[in-house]
Amino acid sequence: MSVQSSSATPPAESGRYTDAQWSFAEFWRRWGSWFITIINLTCFFILWELFARSGAISPLFLPTASGMFETLYNGLTTTAPPGSVISGSILDHLGYSMMTLFTGLAIACVIGIPAGLLMGGNRAVETILSPYIWALASLPRIALVPLFILFMGFTVKMQITIIVLSAVFPIIINAWAGVKTTEKSLLSAARVFGAGKWDLYRKVVFPYTLPFIISGIQQGIGRGLIGVVIAEIFGGSRGLGYLIQRAADTFNSSLMYAVLMLLVIVSLSLINFTRWLEAYVAPWRRLDRV
Amino acid sequence: MALAKTLSAAEPGAHSAAAQPVIVANNLTIGYSLHRERKLLTALKNITLTVNKGEFVVLVGPSGCGKTTFINAIAGIVQPWEGTVEVNGQPVTGPGPDRAMVFQDYALMPWRTVESNIRMPFELKNLGLSKQEMDERVHRYLKLVDLNGFEKSFPYELSGGMKQRVGIARALVTEPDILLADEPFAAIDAMTREAMQSELERFVTQTRQTVVFITHSIDEAVMLGDRVVVISYRPGQIKEIVPVNLPRPRFDYDVKALPEYGELREHIWRLVKDEALQAARGGK
Repeated sequence: MSVQSSSATPPAESGRYTDAQWSFAEFWRRWGSWFITIINLTCFFILWELFARSGAISPLFLPTASGMFETLYNGLTTTAPPGSVISGSILDHLGYSMMTLFTGLAIACVIGIPAGLLMGGNRAVETILSPYIWALASLPRIALVPLFILFMGFTVKMQITIIVLSAVFPIIINAWAGVKTTEKSLLSAARVFGAGKWDLYRKVVFPYTLPFIISGIQQGIGRGLIGVVIAEIFGGSRGLGYLIQRAADTFNSSLMYAVLMLLVIVSLSLINFTRWLEAYVAPWRRLDRV
Repeated sequence: MALAKTLSAAEPGAHSAAAQPVIVANNLTIGYSLHRERKLLTALKNITLTVNKGEFVVLVGPSGCGKTTFINAIAGIVQPWEGTVEVNGQPVTGPGPDRAMVFQDYALMPWRTVESNIRMPFELKNLGLSKQEMDERVHRYLKLVDLNGFEKSFPYELSGGMKQRVGIARALVTEPDILLADEPFAAIDAMTREAMQSELERFVTQTRQTVVFITHSIDEAVMLGDRVVVISYRPGQIKEIVPVNLPRPRFDYDVKALPEYGELREHIWRLVKDEALQAARGGK
């Protein structure tokens, strides 16, 4: 804090980076898109509200925006009294759906990551497994739902199976691609410095593949969420999918839209979280892409 | 002819008083099988070369002439079809701590910091050093390549020249007898390259290492090499071995101003020109 030292020799960091002058242009460049997005969304909901209130469409099909938000707020701030069989609260169903989703995702990771790594690392495993992987990955998973209902009935097990099948293939395929595309020069560098086969996997292939695996999980979350909703719509007595089905059956449009809105929010937050995670574990890739 | 040249050429170099062979390649032939075309490609043919202790040998030749294959064979990551490579009297069967390599594209692990990249050879090969000795070495070589202050930086935060300094420090940290360099400065801008060349000369003069260095640049070859080995195009064979008797450190003596420098440059260019033309036309 002494005046002499700071005036004689400026601190090291001030040489290279100086704070930009505040200006509206600078402020706008940084925050402008946020500002526009907020205005944009506000206008969207106001137009929706006005349109719904005008009575052009029956409230059975289109609720008012305010009605939807109210249902959403109430649904998320209340829980069912203990002992009740079916809860009208969105929060309970959200919790249930998330639990099945994350259980399914966890199982998909436990199966998918080693499977993908093995397929990338071993030609025999790759040759044997790849026709099944491609066949199942290209099959629309909804087509399997009736089969699983036949096998397991309307159970949590059935729902989790569908989520696992939805999420596991992007994880396998990404991990596999990660191993396959590991830079040759990194491998030969490690070999020159004495890496054995195990070291190559542990210290080169796996760290290189990690961001691929995370982006596989990111795709898996998207697919898994579809899996959850489908499984619950087809057969279930709990969860967001069930709530949509029930809202439709009872012509409760504001509940239906509230759940759809919630699905958008959940999906976007999960995907943004994995994006952040990917950038966090592999900052070099983020720079490559820019 | 190549062999005769090797034997007749006086072994130059300031630090090779007693000529003690370190790398001996004997009638080396190496190739690859191209699976798709069901063909065998001969990359190198009948290479016979002896590199003495402390010598700086530069390999020049057109792209695809097998220079990299040769250096990989010395490193032990490519096995010869015929002939042998011996390092310190032992036939090469795999990589060893007596050899280290610097790569054209740096080959730094992007998820590791500068310090951790330099430390990596210690993790891969147990040299029987204590933790203190390893720390001490990592910091000594960090300092040698002028990267103190960047220990915690990641490679993507560094410039090309700095990345290659990390690559060099990583190669030197195990204090190998032999330093192999595969076009280490090819991707670095011209000004930085010249600075890096002079520093490499300084490092290896200090560490008295034997160096086998690949380049496409004739200037680089003449500036750095005690001997320049000209390799012909596909399959790579030794065309001529040119001794370079210029005073060291060459960047201090400004050897580029000497008439011998121009003559050597001219001579090597004439040897390389036809080969380069052939390579540019894509072979025979």
